[in-house]
Amino acid sequence: MASKTLQTLLVYAVLLALSAVFISPFLWMLSTSLKHESRIFPKPGEPPQWIPTTARVDAEGRPLVIYEGREGVDLGPDEMGRHVLRFGATEVTAWPGDFEVRQRSGLHWQNYADAFHKMAFWQNLRNTLFICVTVVLGTLVSCSLVAYSFARIPWPGRDTVFILVLATMMLPYQVTLIPLFALYRELGWVGTFKPLILPAFFGTPFYIFLLRQFFLGVPQDLSASARIDGCNEFGIYLFIMLPLSKPALATTALFMFLFQWADFLSPLVYLQDDRQYTLAIALQQFQSHHESAWGPLMAMSSVITIPIIFLFFLTQRTFIQGITLTGLKG
Amino acid sequence: MKATYLRWTLAIAACLAVVAALWPSEAGSPEEKAALEAGRVIITYWDRHTGHEFDERKVLIDEFNASQSEVYVRALPIGFTMEKLLTSIAGRTPPDILSTEGTILAALAPQHCVMPLDRFIEESESVDPEDFFPHVWRAVTFSGHTWGIPVTTDSICLLWNKTAFRRAGLDPERPPRTMTELLEYANRLTVRDETGLKQIGFLPWLPWDHTHMWGGLFGGEWFDDASGRFVCGDDPHIIAMFRWMQSFSIDPDAPAQLPYALNPEMVAAFRTGFGAYQSANNPFYSGKVAMTQEGEWQASFIARYAPELDWGVAPLPQPEGAPPRCYSPTCVLDMIPAGAPHPEAAWKYIEWFNSPRPGGRPSPASDYNRAICNIPCRRADVMHERFLGDPALSVFVNELLTKETPVFPVTPVAQFFIDQVERERELVTLRQKTPEQAARAIEDSANAELDRILAIMRRDQP
Amino acid sequence: MTRIERRNLRNGILFALPYLIGGTVFMVYPLVMSVYYSLCHYNIITPATFAGLDNYRVLFSHDEVFWKSVYNTLYFTAFSVPLSLILAIGLAVLLNQAVKGLSVFRTVFFLPTIVPIVASAVLWLWVLNPESGLINGMLRAFLHIEGPGWIADVQWSKPSLILMSLWAVGGPMVIFLAGLADVPAVLYEAAEIDGAGPWQKFRNVTLPMLTPTILFNLVMGLIAAFQYFTQVYVMTAGKGTPADSTMFYALYLYRNSFVYLKMGYASAMALLLFLVILAATAGVLASSKRWVHYHGE
Repeated sequence: MASKTLQTLLVYAVLLALSAVFISPFLWMLSTSLKHESRIFPKPGEPPQWIPTTARVDAEGRPLVIYEGREGVDLGPDEMGRHVLRFGATEVTAWPGDFEVRQRSGLHWQNYADAFHKMAFWQNLRNTLFICVTVVLGTLVSCSLVAYSFARIPWPGRDTVFILVLATMMLPYQVTLIPLFALYRELGWVGTFKPLILPAFFGTPFYIFLLRQFFLGVPQDLSASARIDGCNEFGIYLFIMLPLSKPALATTALFMFLFQWADFLSPLVYLQDDRQYTLAIALQQFQSHHESAWGPLMAMSSVITIPIIFLFFLTQRTFIQGITLTGLKG
Repeated sequence: MKATYLRWTLAIAACLAVVAALWPSEAGSPEEKAALEAGRVIITYWDRHTGHEFDERKVLIDEFNASQSEVYVRALPIGFTMEKLLTSIAGRTPPDILSTEGTILAALAPQHCVMPLDRFIEESESVDPEDFFPHVWRAVTFSGHTWGIPVTTDSICLLWNKTAFRRAGLDPERPPRTMTELLEYANRLTVRDETGLKQIGFLPWLPWDHTHMWGGLFGGEWFDDASGRFVCGDDPHIIAMFRWMQSFSIDPDAPAQLPYALNPEMVAAFRTGFGAYQSANNPFYSGKVAMTQEGEWQASFIARYAPELDWGVAPLPQPEGAPPRCYSPTCVLDMIPAGAPHPEAAWKYIEWFNSPRPGGRPSPASDYNRAICNIPCRRADVMHERFLGDPALSVFVNELLTKETPVFPVTPVAQFFIDQVERERELVTLRQKTPEQAARAIEDSANAELDRILAIMRRDQP
Repeated sequence: MTRIERRNLRNGILFALPYLIGGTVFMVYPLVMSVYYSLCHYNIITPATFAGLDNYRVLFSHDEVFWKSVYNTLYFTAFSVPLSLILAIGLAVLLNQAVKGLSVFRTVFFLPTIVPIVASAVLWLWVLNPESGLINGMLRAFLHIEGPGWIADVQWSKPSLILMSLWAVGGPMVIFLAGLADVPAVLYEAAEIDGAGPWQKFRNVTLPMLTPTILFNLVMGLIAAFQYFTQVYVMTAGKGTPADSTMFYALYLYRNSFVYLKMGYASAMALLLFLVILAATAGVLASSKRWVHYHGE
């Protein structure tokens, strides 16, 4: 029993340590989104700052400092770069690293206001959601059908065709983009959502492969008994395979949603009006040639990320809902 | 089975309902629709700049849209992603106006992807080639035609940190004026201890690789404008420039080192500590680099990110005997792509943008440059209190007004050439190539690349 | 052909029909076009002109950066793919334990996959900044040692990117979680009756049952690693700095296609990459008959 407890403790220790590593850059993003522009990048020699702070100032707006244990005010740098500090009636000079500027916590919410002011957020969100939802639906229908064919129907030439399906993923987008654009132009799709949505209804190799791997794992005797009950192939697919593959289908849906949510290049290339732009393209508006608005960029990145965290949090139950729960044993 | 059917039907109905609810509204803003109903010509304007620069452009475009009732400009920020630009041009679905850089125009125009503007310029009362700086106008005219209208230009100068000068015992108001002084100051401003570098006085490849600029300041010619070929291979000035660059890094084979030779590994280690360019940690703002080579945009950047910095700006020193020169990187320009649906309407906007407003007020182009702290391309716009009267800007502007500015190579392989220059500079300063070899390698590889492209273009001629 | 075989062929093709159409239109057509472009001088803008094997000749004999990019990509793939797989399996198995707060942990490990790439790349630049960055800051504060130059150092730039790629194991991890859900609990019960400890259970039950998803993640990991692009593009402004040490194959391909407008040359590069990935995938799939266990069969 003691070893069991020890094992559990060990698992927790490892999980907590790894969690800190995986969550810290996200927390950094949140923290940055709440910092004033002047405090986003740590000053040289200062440790990274997790809780956004601002300098404590006196009534005249001069920063309060601590130097050699005494409290004073910073009157600013002299011509050599040293700062003049006043303690009561006396003044001393000190290099910036040698005294401490007193801080108080201060969250800079203005970044969020600026970010929302700058983007047509709701419009962008609606466009993004429209693409995400239709693409997920299309992918689920088409990929599960195709994967079923590759996993459960032994037809001649199947394995060769399967390799060809995978092969279509192996060309980098850089060389397929131009011919595809020409194709979509001929179809009259450029400037519409069609190039972003309709291809999903014809299947995506990644998800075909993923679902095939899961379908291969479902025991054959289940389909065999259904077939004896007079079920045709489509019936087996619909009533046996899909209900048993909820974890895999949920994974597919989530991945496709995430991919579309973040996809930048295709919407940029095919959409021709900023009223059609998605959130990912709109994020670009915070970066320009010579300067970037880091605060609002991080604020909008957080706004875009947090709903996805909730989505994952809510759907993840499906991933662990295994075969054992769906009555396979019986 | 029946229950399953019911569940499937419900699920499908729910999905359809969600899709219907999210169905996007039609493209086009209400103003655009009103403009369309009023019979105005709708033209599209694409800007490679996003963020602040685009916002300032949008303000002026809104003004244009409100100023007349024939044309309506729909502006779209497309960003620096080349894919969008090239697919639309290759796919023959270009915008009416494209705002981009000179290097891209130089790559597109010889392929007949851009509309010549000669006809418009001849008829125009306000756009006169004589008004523009020669180096920017040259960037838009070649093969006997004009292909675009320049919008912004830059000027690179020497910036120095006065506080660092005081600490090193130098006169903070007197920047180096000769190449000898530049090396001497750089040496005195370089601080190192047993752990490594603490402060760099000056490096010619910080913050960006400025080898191309220094070649010109030494009096060298990279590119012969008349023949359209790269000619740097045997240019003694270019070779001298590379030799000068070498004096900034140690020679592992030499018994004695130049006073200012820095160990490249030590520089690399120090450089890794440089903060982001646009932040208070920019190495120049934070005092890690005492002298640097920067453009006029720093006047607004420093005010924003490092208001406490005590800095000065002066012309970059040049070797004795070299012709007085200013340096300007590739410019930003507006062009009308070939196949644009409404070139006449597009020109109407371009002309408005470059014309002084009624009552002698500055042109929209001047407003735009002032707002983003760049330099307008027309002398008349520059000769204005808002540029000359700003002490932070006037040094940069005066360089352009008083010195000859070499033309950035007008060739379809400009980007390839710049990449080669950077690569060879690194090899030279690491002593893996001699200055002579580097100059030769740049000429040969750039010309070979150019030949390849020219051969294709000749084959394409009908 | 028997009646059943005929029915299988008909059904198989019917079920696969969406992709048989979609793949032909959206994938095979661009593939054929890029084979053609690879034999041409093509600058995207004007029509392509046939040039035989010229692009391949230049690629093999006159392009040092090409070989550098091959080396960089192989280096990255060799470390990033196996390390990601091991980490993803490890996390998934840990998360499959019945411990409290699991859903929170699972979300935390998936977080890096969700953060927008623009934001996460900027974050990594700060995290890896040798002076003011998170990692070296921590090293200095807690261990009192100076960390390396990370992304800005020729020696450390590739390891830095490999480290970054490990941070994004959330995707494979979720797939492994779904795979673990497919392992029938009876197998563990049987193993426990046989007196198996945690390691034996992992070795003899979990691992064999995970092989179908391992195969999937291995193949996809290989394909993705060979085409590794977005992160390094954002982190180095598309330049592969310092000193070409992060000039990966796909990045160089991008520069050739959309910066130098050498689409024919880039297509030749793409086709070579295609053949290499195809060979690697076919090799993995061929070997899979020996190590992948489908309990459906």
